[in-house]
Amino acid sequence: MLFNSLSFVVFLVIVLALYYSKLFNWTNKKRMLLLASYVFYGLWNPPLVILLWISTVVDWTAGKRLAVEDNPSKRKFWLLLSMSVNLGFLAFFKYGDFLLENFVSIVNTFGIDFQARPMDIILPMGISFYTFQTMSYTIDMYKRQIKPARTFLDFALYVTFFPQLVAGPIVRAKDLITQFYEEKRATSNQFVWGIFLLTIGIFQKVVLADTLLSGTADEVFGSSKLIHGIDAWTGTLAFSGQIFFDFAGYSTCAIGIALMLGIILPDNFRYPYASLGFSDLWGRWHVSLSSWLRDYLYIPLGGNRHGITRMYVALMLTMLLGGLWHGAAWTFMVWGGLHGTYLILEKLQKQYLPFKITKWNGMFLAFITFSCVNITWVFFRAREFDTAWNMIKSMFYMQTNGEKVLDSFSIIKVCVVIGILFLCHWIMRNTSMREVSQKISPWLLGVVWAALFFLIVIAQGSGEQFIYFQF
Amino acid sequence: MNLKKSLIIALLLSAIGIIAWEMFWRSQDYVPNIDDNKAFWSVQRDRVTNLSPDNVILMGSSRTLFDIQLDNWENQTGKRPIQLANVGSSPLPVFHDIVENTNYSGTVIVGVTPGLFFSTTFPEAEPWAWPQSRVDYYKDRTYAQRINHQLSLPLQQNLVLMSAGEEELDDNIDLKALLKRIKIGERVPEVMPPFYEFGIMTSLDRNLEMTERTVTDTAFANTIIDVWKFFANAAPPPDKEATMAFFLKDAEKFKARGGNLILIRCPSSGGLRVGEDHVLPRKDFWDDLVQKANVKAYHFEDYDQFKNLKCPEWSHLSVEDARFFTTELAKLMIADNAIPNSKNN
Repeated sequence: MLFNSLSFVVFLVIVLALYYSKLFNWTNKKRMLLLASYVFYGLWNPPLVILLWISTVVDWTAGKRLAVEDNPSKRKFWLLLSMSVNLGFLAFFKYGDFLLENFVSIVNTFGIDFQARPMDIILPMGISFYTFQTMSYTIDMYKRQIKPARTFLDFALYVTFFPQLVAGPIVRAKDLITQFYEEKRATSNQFVWGIFLLTIGIFQKVVLADTLLSGTADEVFGSSKLIHGIDAWTGTLAFSGQIFFDFAGYSTCAIGIALMLGIILPDNFRYPYASLGFSDLWGRWHVSLSSWLRDYLYIPLGGNRHGITRMYVALMLTMLLGGLWHGAAWTFMVWGGLHGTYLILEKLQKQYLPFKITKWNGMFLAFITFSCVNITWVFFRAREFDTAWNMIKSMFYMQTNGEKVLDSFSIIKVCVVIGILFLCHWIMRNTSMREVSQKISPWLLGVVWAALFFLIVIAQGSGEQFIYFQF
Repeated sequence: MNLKKSLIIALLLSAIGIIAWEMFWRSQDYVPNIDDNKAFWSVQRDRVTNLSPDNVILMGSSRTLFDIQLDNWENQTGKRPIQLANVGSSPLPVFHDIVENTNYSGTVIVGVTPGLFFSTTFPEAEPWAWPQSRVDYYKDRTYAQRINHQLSLPLQQNLVLMSAGEEELDDNIDLKALLKRIKIGERVPEVMPPFYEFGIMTSLDRNLEMTERTVTDTAFANTIIDVWKFFANAAPPPDKEATMAFFLKDAEKFKARGGNLILIRCPSSGGLRVGEDHVLPRKDFWDDLVQKANVKAYHFEDYDQFKNLKCPEWSHLSVEDARFFTTELAKLMIADNAIPNSKNN
């Protein structure tokens, strides 16, 4: 079920009515939320709920055993079991065809004529998100950093909580499970703020991503021609905005919906396009994933504890695997590799060419960072290396007779939207929407809110899927 | 911060804005219309599952949609047909789906619009990709999508502002369509003339009628004619060999399980008919298809009552003529024992 759909409106109204009715005690309310979460997921593809159940049962059992087990080899066994099941799901459902294709290519390069039919495996929605979330629980249990969930219900709800089930934020057990122990009710201010966040999130998705930007990005990246430099930059900027609004929109909706239930979810985006460098970027973009990768991959790989070379290797491996997390294609690896390279270059610059960031050079640095990020988006969006390479050539005018595919208005529209996006991120980079809303008059907030809602209604989104569902 | 106050202001202003928006478009002669999208089509496709052989399924392009009026057909035959035709489409992917993925062995009436029927079997080409996307959607649609569609129907039936269309026509009034109308300069030449809505959906089982404006406003009808001219000039040469082979294979399979296949050629007029006769002459295309398919077939040129029917925009009948055409065609088929007549049974 999509947040930007009529069925979700009905679903949410029913869930809220049941949640705030006096029919249930807290335990039954949690049961209702759990059942609602399965319905939310099952309305997409009912049989795939079984994967959620398997993941839940395996990690619950592993967590329970890890809580009482002292034998190191047995502890390792339970950890490995959890990792094998979750990563096994990912490997089979997400990377099965990719692995097969690459196996065939390697075999063919050795002169063996072998062809394999694609497995055409359906990708369970949000599998990368919920498997990472449940794995974090078992790993934290293994490291004895958290206590086990008090009940199976609390744990199952942690794995399946519908607002963040299919596209995050990827929440740690210590931040979410403990919230289920005591009855939660949103205060009236929390509830209304939740509705506001839901409005903002759907506006980002329906109006900004789908209505204003996706068409231009699709036209440019879908073009089979060598295109003009301006068109290539416009298409890339459009995708840059589209993916931000799409993903941040989902996270904002998730945070808003959870808040309406009195549950606090962490921020996932902190105005990333005004980042001052790439370390800053990864502290602002998809924060729940980057912190997951840091804690469960980069640090275990050695982090910065074993010298500079090892740190760079760990950094690069983390970013490459982070790229692969997004999709089963080499283009995603290149995307991750570019980010890894940027991070290494930034560390080298800080070591050998340090400079002080002032308000004067800050905006320029943010602009440079944003421009470099845009180059990486080309590899993220292009389905083929040929498309990506053609785009890069067009963007840097390495071919001169590119075809114009965009009309002037589309170019102006994208430049205006992305210009405003960049400026907003720059202005907001050290504050939050909540802080700003507290400073402005209720009238102004009400007018802005109405404008957003009105634009959502007239945009009439056709229920386009969120991009990150496929990851 | 007084959030409740903001919420009340937002609700009030939103309500005022939405009501004003709806009233404005109604004042511009817009009326609520159901979008003939893939979800809407899938509901009809779903009815074919477990359908008894005494039923009739219609498929083809927009001519089958506009020219066969379901009420009139039902009045004549006693059975309401299932409408699976799609605008701008080859019927081949839909017929293939029915043959391969159902056990249906009743009557299938296939409308043959020569320029589309004989166009292509290339999966990426629009006349194929569009109906195939509907077949795929039907197969893959989720329960959530089904619920969304059912919830959206009452809104589409009652609100003009809910008129975003899958076809993305130039007079749609969703935000994306409105922005698309803004033109600055001529950086990329506009190749296709504007294409406006000229049909209105009058039932939940996909009965489509031509709008009154298309019949009475010649200038408007000419804008549609310009679009046909554009398509006629832009279309690649027909691929008779591949399309015939594909269709005949399915036709044989369908007939072998007892299915009753009928071909119809709905009227066209003006320059479009001249063009069709020139590029896809009847003798080489229609007659050859009928002979090889070896099924009952009805070409409008063969019947006196249809010879003088005129299409206001060259390709489809006005609702009055469509009712007449449907009634007479059904009578002809009943007289031929080509279709079951539930009325007399």
